[in-house]
Amino acid sequence: MPSSSSERPNATTWLAVLAIAAFFVFSMAFPVLYMVKKAFLSDGRLSLSFFKLLFSNEIMTESIVNSLLLAVCVTGITAAIGFSLAWLMSRTDMPAKGLWGNLFLAPLILPPFVGAIGVKFVFGRFGMINSLLIQAGLLNPRSPIDWLGAPFWGVVILEVLHLFPIMYLNIMGSFALVDPSIEEAARGLGARGARLFRTIMLPLLAPGFFAGASIVFIWAFTDLGTPLLFEYTSVAPVQIFNSLQATKENLMGYSLVVVVLAMTAVLFAVSKFAFGGRRVDMPAFGRTSGTIARLGIPLKILICLLLAVFVALSIVPHVSVALVSLSKEWFMTVLPEKWTFGYYGKVFTHPMSYVSIKNSIAFSSAAVAVVLIMGVAIAWILARKKFRGQWVLDICAMLPLAVPGVVLAFGYVQGFFGTALDPRINPAPLLVISYSVRRLPLVVRALYAGFQQTGVVLEEAAASLGAPALTVLRTITFPLIRANLLGAAILAFAFSMLEVSDSLILAMEDRFYPITKAIYMLLGRLGDGGMIASAMGILGVVLLAAALVTAQKLLGRRMGDLFRT
Amino acid sequence: MVSVELKNITKKYGGTTAVDDVSLEIGRGELFFLLGPSGCGKTTILRMVAGFVTPDSGEVLFDARDVSKIPPHGRNVGMVFQTYALFPHMTVEQNIGYGLRFRKIESSEKKKRVVELLDRTRLTGLGGRLPSQLSGGQQQRVALARALVIQPDVLLLDEPLSNLDTRLRVEMREEIRRIHNEFGVTALYVTHDQEEALSLAHRVAIMRDGVIVQSGAPSDIYMRPRNEFVARFVGDSNILPAKAARRDGRPGLETPAGWLPSSSGPPRNGTVFVSVRPENVSLCQPIPGAANAKISSVTFLGSAIKAELALEDGTAITALFPGTANGVLWKSGDIVGVRLEVDDAVVLE
Repeated sequence: MPSSSSERPNATTWLAVLAIAAFFVFSMAFPVLYMVKKAFLSDGRLSLSFFKLLFSNEIMTESIVNSLLLAVCVTGITAAIGFSLAWLMSRTDMPAKGLWGNLFLAPLILPPFVGAIGVKFVFGRFGMINSLLIQAGLLNPRSPIDWLGAPFWGVVILEVLHLFPIMYLNIMGSFALVDPSIEEAARGLGARGARLFRTIMLPLLAPGFFAGASIVFIWAFTDLGTPLLFEYTSVAPVQIFNSLQATKENLMGYSLVVVVLAMTAVLFAVSKFAFGGRRVDMPAFGRTSGTIARLGIPLKILICLLLAVFVALSIVPHVSVALVSLSKEWFMTVLPEKWTFGYYGKVFTHPMSYVSIKNSIAFSSAAVAVVLIMGVAIAWILARKKFRGQWVLDICAMLPLAVPGVVLAFGYVQGFFGTALDPRINPAPLLVISYSVRRLPLVVRALYAGFQQTGVVLEEAAASLGAPALTVLRTITFPLIRANLLGAAILAFAFSMLEVSDSLILAMEDRFYPITKAIYMLLGRLGDGGMIASAMGILGVVLLAAALVTAQKLLGRRMGDLFRT
Repeated sequence: MVSVELKNITKKYGGTTAVDDVSLEIGRGELFFLLGPSGCGKTTILRMVAGFVTPDSGEVLFDARDVSKIPPHGRNVGMVFQTYALFPHMTVEQNIGYGLRFRKIESSEKKKRVVELLDRTRLTGLGGRLPSQLSGGQQQRVALARALVIQPDVLLLDEPLSNLDTRLRVEMREEIRRIHNEFGVTALYVTHDQEEALSLAHRVAIMRDGVIVQSGAPSDIYMRPRNEFVARFVGDSNILPAKAARRDGRPGLETPAGWLPSSSGPPRNGTVFVSVRPENVSLCQPIPGAANAKISSVTFLGSAIKAELALEDGTAITALFPGTANGVLWKSGDIVGVRLEVDDAVVLE
């Protein structure tokens, strides 16, 4: 079908493009350019002195190296898990695939930020494991083991447990793309084993793998919440966070942020452009009518057992958070001695938690409104209009995936210093903006799918019957993509409620704390702070679970696509 | 109701010209067909009348009023889409009533019109259903009713029957004829199905590669195709080489299958081509000295019998005759005489 005149941009389109451009300039281009300027300008002249300073500073270089190592480890381990699980699910006759498929996705609802609270209680000096060992007489109560002495691996484990489903979804999608007959053809030609995998499977799986890997890598590389809870300061995000706590403007902070940004941007560009043209529509999962490896019964039992242990381990952190939130007294014993629901009540009465919930609901609702307006405009133009340079819009919509939350929040704090939007005075507007920017890729993708699905012909029918453009949107398009709109809104809301980096950095006063910042601050308080924080974390997990289940119902199997680049 | 006129319309997409300097006029109340193979530009023309496509040059006139700048929703055009494009989230009644929302009509009158349309398209009782609960034919009727309820100045039909099975297609053809007669609206109908065009159209334009090759009444086009494309696209045709000749003092053309009278006088020098419909080729016992042929195959088609023949010089020719008992007389391998029963040769350009 040739493009028609209705696909040509009109005045409304250009107005929308202008509004979108203004939003991007304000929310992304300005803070990023501000940081770049600060990093490269010394006394008004172009200079690399801050970078020299940065790389000659041992703590800073160590932090960058640690962050890279962290990201490499997390990506490598999740890739190994993702490949194994995807292979088991798509190329073997493993039993109960439906059940496993759901269990593998469960960790998506378990933010590592919340899990970290539990890990501290389980693996802490006076935690569950040590108590268990002491009870069993294996450990001297006077010299408990410091399991968290290697916070690096604690962070790796928590992030792996949270992120492997994203890797699994992406690889699974690629597996579904590889027609089993291609595999069979290669076998017929004599390719086998490693050679078959290297020459046939790997090139076909690569785009999906890199899509997942780039998300996971950037996530692990720039995660602030988890290392912060582990008090693991020698990683780049925590250094960025700390540089903002200093009273004096720390100019090295800019160069560090720019280095981090450059790395994520390069990675994003590689994953986007190296494989950009290779995306094909994904057929339904589980279409595996080809070569299926028959597993013997003993092997099946072994695999199921291993998977069960794996899944059980993956929820240990969060189960322990739940235990903390329900424990009245828990010290030097395996399980709490007394139980209570009291802390869930306190969540809504304690001033800090109560105010933070109110704040988060307000910020997140406003962010959903902003991101829906922007998302509808962008997705509509991408799906319905054709003009030169449209790809710029596409890239912009996905750019927040490449600009980490820590970096953006840092840019906001510095760039808007002394303006009406200064987060030191009132962080609400910038929190709303940052929440909406972060959710934009997800919302655009969900809505774009909806617009494509609805097809243009119904809109044309309505127009020919006399409906003006906006009426067509209101009476035909929106009702038909209601599921996508709702699904996107629910996900955007839930993720905003639990947004970590921006919240920790931008909110600086009690009365503006969102939930995650309140959890972080409560954890640092003696007394019942930790229990209330745990109860809040569990409520957050419940919210996220409800949101994902509802969104899955609304969006169907397209859900998986939302977590890809 | 208006008359529609296209004046020197051209539309290009990148390097390809979809519509090339096309002009045509559709009279008030006329049922006008655009017939052609896919990709010939007929749908682009329809979409230009609807306003979904803007011509690069030329004018679209409704009653001599230029509508080129008016957007689709301002044109008062009813359109029936190939896929019907019924709104899946609305009932039949809501679908039909949709266009009335944008017209200043009292709500009681709106209701009356919807009920009337349901009745006139034989959908009474189905008003509360959703499109997914209707058969293909019923969906088609809803699409028609929805386009007609707004009392459009022009009705546009884009391959409306192509999604129906053969029997239903013939039935709906009659339904469209009846409804068009009843409403008497100016209509532009796009199809690649020549039977649909020949049986329904007041006038037909045959299109190829963005150009109108020939237009006129269906019988004219069938009887006197202008060139080989039309002759072959509209019905079956034998294309035979011919040379000017005289027989009994009358001008005509000599073909491998025999002599044809020609009223247009002796043609230009050299060889021309003529079109002879298979039903104008009749078979008889071999005649010495005349055109004889060998039957290569006989196909029984029910109401007719089709015979493929090879003339003595090797030229292939098709004959079609009523499927009466004596028709089965011939079988493949037989040598027969061939007679062209044509009053006036159709010389192709």
